[in-house]
Amino acid sequence: MLAGSRASTATLIAFLLVMPVSFGIHDLSTDGSLAHLGNNLVDGLSNGAIWALVALGYTLVYGIIELINFAHGDVFMIGSFVALAVFGTLGLGLATAVPLLIGGLLLTLAISAVASGTLNTMIERAGYRPLRDAPRLAPLITAVGFSFILQNVGLLWLGGSQQSVPDLISSQHELFNLGGVSVTNGDALAVLATAPLVLTLVFFITRTRLGKAMRATAQDPDAARLMGINVDTTISLTFLIGGLLAGAAGLIYALYQTTIWFNQGFTAGLIAFTAAVMGGIGNLRGAVLGGLLIGCIQQISDNRIGAEWTPAIVFAYLVLIMVVRPRGLLGEETREAG
Amino acid sequence: MRRKRNLVACSIAAAALTLGVAACGGSDSNDSGDSGASAGDAVTVYSSLPLQGASRPTGLAIQNGIELAFKQAGNKAGDVNVKFVPLDDATVQAGQWTPEAESANAKKAAQDDSAVAYLGTYNSGAAAISIPILNEAGMAMLSPGNTAVGLTSDAPGADTEAGEPDIYYPDGKRNYARIVPKDTVQGAALAKLMDQDGCKVAGIMHDNEVYGEGLANNVASAGESFDYEVVSAGAVDTKAANYRAAAESLGQKGVDCFVYGGITASNAVQLYKDVAAAIPGVKMYGPDGVADSDFSEGLPTKVAAATKVTVPTLSEDEYGPEGAKFYKQYEAKYGKAEPFAIYGYEAGKLMLDVIARADDPTDRQSVIDAMFATADRDSILGKYSIDENGDTTLTDYGVYTIDGDGQVVFDQTISAK
Repeated sequence: MLAGSRASTATLIAFLLVMPVSFGIHDLSTDGSLAHLGNNLVDGLSNGAIWALVALGYTLVYGIIELINFAHGDVFMIGSFVALAVFGTLGLGLATAVPLLIGGLLLTLAISAVASGTLNTMIERAGYRPLRDAPRLAPLITAVGFSFILQNVGLLWLGGSQQSVPDLISSQHELFNLGGVSVTNGDALAVLATAPLVLTLVFFITRTRLGKAMRATAQDPDAARLMGINVDTTISLTFLIGGLLAGAAGLIYALYQTTIWFNQGFTAGLIAFTAAVMGGIGNLRGAVLGGLLIGCIQQISDNRIGAEWTPAIVFAYLVLIMVVRPRGLLGEETREAG
Repeated sequence: MRRKRNLVACSIAAAALTLGVAACGGSDSNDSGDSGASAGDAVTVYSSLPLQGASRPTGLAIQNGIELAFKQAGNKAGDVNVKFVPLDDATVQAGQWTPEAESANAKKAAQDDSAVAYLGTYNSGAAAISIPILNEAGMAMLSPGNTAVGLTSDAPGADTEAGEPDIYYPDGKRNYARIVPKDTVQGAALAKLMDQDGCKVAGIMHDNEVYGEGLANNVASAGESFDYEVVSAGAVDTKAANYRAAAESLGQKGVDCFVYGGITASNAVQLYKDVAAAIPGVKMYGPDGVADSDFSEGLPTKVAAATKVTVPTLSEDEYGPEGAKFYKQYEAKYGKAEPFAIYGYEAGKLMLDVIARADDPTDRQSVIDAMFATADRDSILGKYSIDENGDTTLTDYGVYTIDGDGQVVFDQTISAK
């Protein structure tokens, strides 16, 4: 049994490394360096960091109430829209001085995060809490309903077309170059903004009383209630945290891509949910790993194979990972998984 | 419990019966539609254009142009009263045309006994859906915007769908014509423009749609006769968040000029931004599918300055006094004219002329015959004919740049001859 498990892990690792290793060998033989692959991975990590932030919201909620919150991607979209509105209100533009820009962006981060966090909490309070004891299909369909409602809010807000966001951070401007590997302002923002948020979340979940309450509720809500934990409040807190992260991701996405639209939440939600499943649903580290992995697969595929194949390749990876490790790369952390 | 089951069964049976009756009704209506209109001297002309999402400015401009032409004629074609019914083939949710909406529009027109013609579509993919429906209904369809080659002929670039163009004409007879030059012409114009601009390696991508892929093939095919190298880089995922890696791939292949076969709604703004960022100094080109304000205003100034678009519409000066009069009247009523407004206007004028010339204006086949009999027509666009495939004999394209305010500005006329 143990030998079988090791064999499957080895197969999985070998499988995950097929693309980067083969392209790395190709680069060494043709260019004599790994800079090309390095650029792919930098792009992948920065894209993946944004998916990871959204994936954390999915995994947090699934971990605690075993609900796929389909509206989460749209809460992320609303975060982007709020960010664009705040840019306008604060008058942030290409000519804004750097200190003012930094202050403005931090304020925007706070407002976007709070707006999305509040929205997510309200959705939980109005839509999911009354269905706590209902059959699983009821909250699931409710989540789909909220997703459509939010998409329509986005449509009414900014219309059906892609909207350009002022490129406040010169997203694709090269910040530095290390041996041919280019790191842009957008790459730096995505990684440097995501890392502290993830670390803070992990600290909160593992080291604080509220975090322990969340973990206890995730493991066994009835036992948690008997221990004096207010389960409803804890679940609301989970939605709040997921929403805060989605709002932050919304701002980072707007600054990184410089284009937003009402349907971005659907695509991002699909990718982020895939990331959460790939890493092991309910598992925070798994969501981050899944997000980063998908980001890298997407960029390598876009750059080396062809953009039209990327969605198929991402899901081929998911299928194969599921076949080898049905509970995801780092394993599920849900009541079902034990 | 059994009573509940019975209730459910009855409900399902009632619903099925209702649907069946509705289906039968639809069928009857369709059958009567096949025999042609017979509502005296009043006929209906439908239009089907995208009025939501990124294509809305263009769709609305075409619709306004048609409406202006009809109003100027007092809604009459000769002695026949003509009712104009504009339809929308886009949905808010999709942000562009959808097969469902286009199909519903075509069926609505086909089932209207008084309808003799259908003006549209703007998107070639939409036309690929409505042409067969209207073909079976024996109704004339005239497009002011479709450029995909395969809709009318099997000329190069017509291979995006197997069996083109015959698959669109199940009845075996032609019912579709267009007044914009097809993409063999636009592809050649874009290829010639890139040669003129000194391109060395032209990178081409498309959105995997009937129009976009066909155009990309045409540009690639026409580009082979010039000195520059052509890199066909395939399709993009139009739902992708960005195209940085794909754009970097173009840069790694030495691409210094870029063309996208696609429409604005196919995430064109993000693609052009990413290509411009990945390839410093790149020259970018777009077809008529991106010649709208959502695209030109969505691009950052620096990216816009590096971009040119081709549109069948030429300089306002080239349309003479009639053109000047049109633009004055249009802008007084609807505001600034998008490039395709004049094609909407001419589509409306031509259709009124066709109905007036038809032996029996209320007979659909007569209207089709009159449409294909259009020869040496002196129009606002210049003198042109409709050939046996339904194509116009016009061949000139206008090249437009984008100014600092995001407005498309006429630059030059390029002939694909």
